[in-house]
Amino acid sequence: MKISLDWLKDYIELDLSLPDLIEKLNMIGLIVEDREEQGSDVILDIETYANRPDTLGHLGIARELAAALDLGLKEQKWPLTEFEQKTSELVDVQIWEDDLCPRYSGIVVKGIQVGPSPEWLRKRIEAMGLKPVNNVVDMTNYVLYATAHPIHAFDLAKISGGRIIIRKANGGEVLRSLEDSDIALTPEMLVIADGKKPVALAGIIGGEESSVKESTQDVFIESAFFDPISIRKTSKKTGISTDASYRFERGADISFPPQAALMAASLLTQFGGRASEGITDAYPKPRKEKTVVLRHHRVSDLLGLEIDEEFSVRTLGSLGFQVEVQQEGVWQVKIPHFRVDIEREADLVEEIARFYGYDKIPASVPPLRVLEPPMEPRREKINKIRHLLFHNGFDEVLNFSFSDPEKEARLQTGYKAIEIRNPISSKASLLKTTLLGGLLENIVWNKNRGAEGIHLFEIGNIYFWQKETSREQLTLTLASTGPVGPVQWRRKSEETDFFRVKGALESVLTYLRHEPFSFKEEDHPLFEQKFSLALIFKEATVGYCGLLKRNLLDSFSLKDPVWAAELNLALLFKKQPYSFQYTPVSRFPSITRDVSFIADQNVDYQDIKEVVEKLNIPNLKEFDIYDRFSGSSIPKGKISLSVRFVFLHPQRTLLAKEVDELQEKIIDSLVTKFKFQLRKGGKIDKRIRKD
Amino acid sequence: MKDFKAKIEEHKERFEKALTRAIDEKSLQEVRNTYMSRKRGALKLLFEELKTLKPEDRAEAGQMINKLKMHVQKKIESSLKKLTVPKPLARERRIDLTLPGQKEYWGAQHPVSLFQQEMENIFIAMGFSIEEGPEIETDYYNFEALNFPPYHPARDDWDTLYITDDLLLRTHTSPVQIRAMEKRKPPIRIIVPGKVYRRETPDPTHLPMFYQLEGLVVDKGITFAHLKGTLEHFLKTLFYEKIKIRFRPSFFPFTEPSAEVDIECIVCGGKDEECRVCDGSGWKEILGSGMVDPQVLKNVNVDPEEYAGFAFGMGIDRTAMFAYQIPDIRYFYENDLRFTRQFNLK
Ligand SMILES: [Zn+2]
Repeated sequence: MKISLDWLKDYIELDLSLPDLIEKLNMIGLIVEDREEQGSDVILDIETYANRPDTLGHLGIARELAAALDLGLKEQKWPLTEFEQKTSELVDVQIWEDDLCPRYSGIVVKGIQVGPSPEWLRKRIEAMGLKPVNNVVDMTNYVLYATAHPIHAFDLAKISGGRIIIRKANGGEVLRSLEDSDIALTPEMLVIADGKKPVALAGIIGGEESSVKESTQDVFIESAFFDPISIRKTSKKTGISTDASYRFERGADISFPPQAALMAASLLTQFGGRASEGITDAYPKPRKEKTVVLRHHRVSDLLGLEIDEEFSVRTLGSLGFQVEVQQEGVWQVKIPHFRVDIEREADLVEEIARFYGYDKIPASVPPLRVLEPPMEPRREKINKIRHLLFHNGFDEVLNFSFSDPEKEARLQTGYKAIEIRNPISSKASLLKTTLLGGLLENIVWNKNRGAEGIHLFEIGNIYFWQKETSREQLTLTLASTGPVGPVQWRRKSEETDFFRVKGALESVLTYLRHEPFSFKEEDHPLFEQKFSLALIFKEATVGYCGLLKRNLLDSFSLKDPVWAAELNLALLFKKQPYSFQYTPVSRFPSITRDVSFIADQNVDYQDIKEVVEKLNIPNLKEFDIYDRFSGSSIPKGKISLSVRFVFLHPQRTLLAKEVDELQEKIIDSLVTKFKFQLRKGGKIDKRIRKD
Repeated sequence: MKDFKAKIEEHKERFEKALTRAIDEKSLQEVRNTYMSRKRGALKLLFEELKTLKPEDRAEAGQMINKLKMHVQKKIESSLKKLTVPKPLARERRIDLTLPGQKEYWGAQHPVSLFQQEMENIFIAMGFSIEEGPEIETDYYNFEALNFPPYHPARDDWDTLYITDDLLLRTHTSPVQIRAMEKRKPPIRIIVPGKVYRRETPDPTHLPMFYQLEGLVVDKGITFAHLKGTLEHFLKTLFYEKIKIRFRPSFFPFTEPSAEVDIECIVCGGKDEECRVCDGSGWKEILGSGMVDPQVLKNVNVDPEEYAGFAFGMGIDRTAMFAYQIPDIRYFYENDLRFTRQFNLK
């Protein structure tokens, strides 16, 4: 809301410096966002709130300042030059919808010379950032910006039959507005009609035909109160928002219409017009002022400090509230109609606090009566995953939840995407059904800026419809391309590959104690055929990893291979991890045996592992593969596999003979099952390792 | 003769000292040279000195020198053996120790998630727990239960992205206040970090999605003073102890009284009329807050006569922007690694 200091001085004596004034306004909640000098005047741009329509005019701001500075308001006089005819004889006002229009006042002013406004009025209008139009239009704007009460002027000659009917529109009726466009009216819209047709969309905009023009001589001034919800609905439906509708939908002062009409007529008589006798005022069900009970101890209960009753009485009084003591410390407070925001005791407490000064309220810390668990287990897990992935060399990214339908289609998640009804752009009209698209865009962005190795992860929701229900599913997605780590003199950086993303998934599950898990070869629409694995935990597929399809990468203009993985954290977190237990460290030495085989290249490690596990060898503590190669030294179609077994007994030193037997058993079953050959030179190593 | 004997002893002592200082092959060889050099070694000089002694003493003195010589030889040999020379040193003449050390590569946390954690930790230390809620909300939780009546213009300040008539992307984390209070009775002391959405076109200070951190405390006897104390402690910890903080009246439908919290402009300290960060006001708005509106408490069946509470909310990315002087909020979501990885140093 623009406020002219000059104009403000019509209402209040101000003799403090501009910085002090601004500080004062700020500290009662009227934030001065901007200020601009205009000649001798200063225009402040004050932030106002949706619940304070009374501050949408100079009078309202003056009232607030008066209370803050302990000053009175200057009285304003609105003298009239009248002609001898009653208003009600000239205009017949009929309210047909008194719920939507509880009050309608008006007055006629005749014999006006429509023309440019006088200098003082032009200045006021310009201070509000508007262009002066003519004295009548400028006057209506003047009243609005002065008092926050919107009024409207009709060309009396265009009001057919001298009738003003406040009714709902009939289906099919149309209003040509001042903006030269036709508004199609629907039956729930409130209109001002004359004897024949609508002449204004009530409280929002006037019709073109009845508007004041150069030729106008006599005007009818409307000053009414319209139902805020009805105004807002119609404003939303027609897409028309005006200074008037902005104020009416926030709530006008129902006690004010006659005064605004008087003010308008008085100004017009200054321009040579003469006003009809008496203001017509249809107010079928006069409203009483609200009363709110204030128990004064509630002020200190809520604020945490004692405030003098005298201060409270004075503050409420200076804001226009009437305080009546009901009993010791309990007051009946009568609320003026312009304060539509005050309804409850708490609202009055705020008024007292606001003028007491928030800065004078002490600061203390609330006592801890109950201790809460600091961390939801879910978040603890997320933090753990994050740190694990940092150690694995993955950078965290955060992307928008929005997605381009065209891109989303390429990612083929199979989920039914959730559409936003009013998106900021058609390229952001869906919610993501995978985080992968964002990660690929991040890779492109960084590649275009010179990065080579890019390894990213994001933890966040994906969104989709599951039947009629919207779902949010916490997901972890990884994408990895190019070399890992910086180029350095000591060692070459490795290229990322499938086993890096797989390893990241494995370590996440291991460290969350979601074991045992397994992988299954399974085709997936995102990945190259025969190049993806599903991750299985407790019989459910919780994720997958693989090499992204070439055509998908091409569509992102990515030439290098990108390896990716997705993990359904929502599902994973629902499953119980095994509980952690400490295992005593054996005091006895372990025995390590390394064995090399020549194996068929089609034998899968997972199968070997299963065979070994099924043997249930006692005291076999570790089993792992440590070398795998093929080449000129190995027959065609074969590979060399080196595996390591570590044996350990918790209570005694194992004898070499015992271990020999166990090892033979393993080798025998591998040889039988997979036709392994012990490798030449792949001697059995009988080292003893001391852990 | 006595003098000569003392001299031998002195040499021996000096040798022992030199030996303890000699930590590598090079310095050991130097020590050896000092004593054994055929030209000017200490031993050679001692032998020459024999001539100056009385003839009857010469034999004994010669033995003493020989004994010292054997001692030096033996000691140096054994010290050389004991030297545990690193392999490269053994092969190369010299290793360049000024070469850079080995760099391990680790990933970096996204600055918004990092800043969020920093904020969370301050509140956790004050006894808050972390709560979460859905991003796709109903009109009831996002607006109505928070005292935004239907058709109230206050809704305009929360420009909303809708999915259906009733479903929307939450415009703030405040719906979780309602969800938390529906789940359990006070005392409640929670924070709620998360994504929120507004129908805003991206520009340097606006985004259609950003992160917010909400807080709620409900208990018997909670006051505005507690709100001030909690937020002051938080801001002083997050920024610095002496930071100037200002509470001023504001309006939110779900709090009464409401307050906005400003901190002094950490860029210009209020001294620059043209400051881009604070527009010359010297203050930067950082938090919205207030006492929980009695109607909100009633909506979740908490008696406002018995309980009171305060709530607050702030933008995480927005605050990070201010704290690190990041001129454009969109930088956070470009995920440029040259930008995000810097925060590893935080
Ligand atoms: Zn500044």
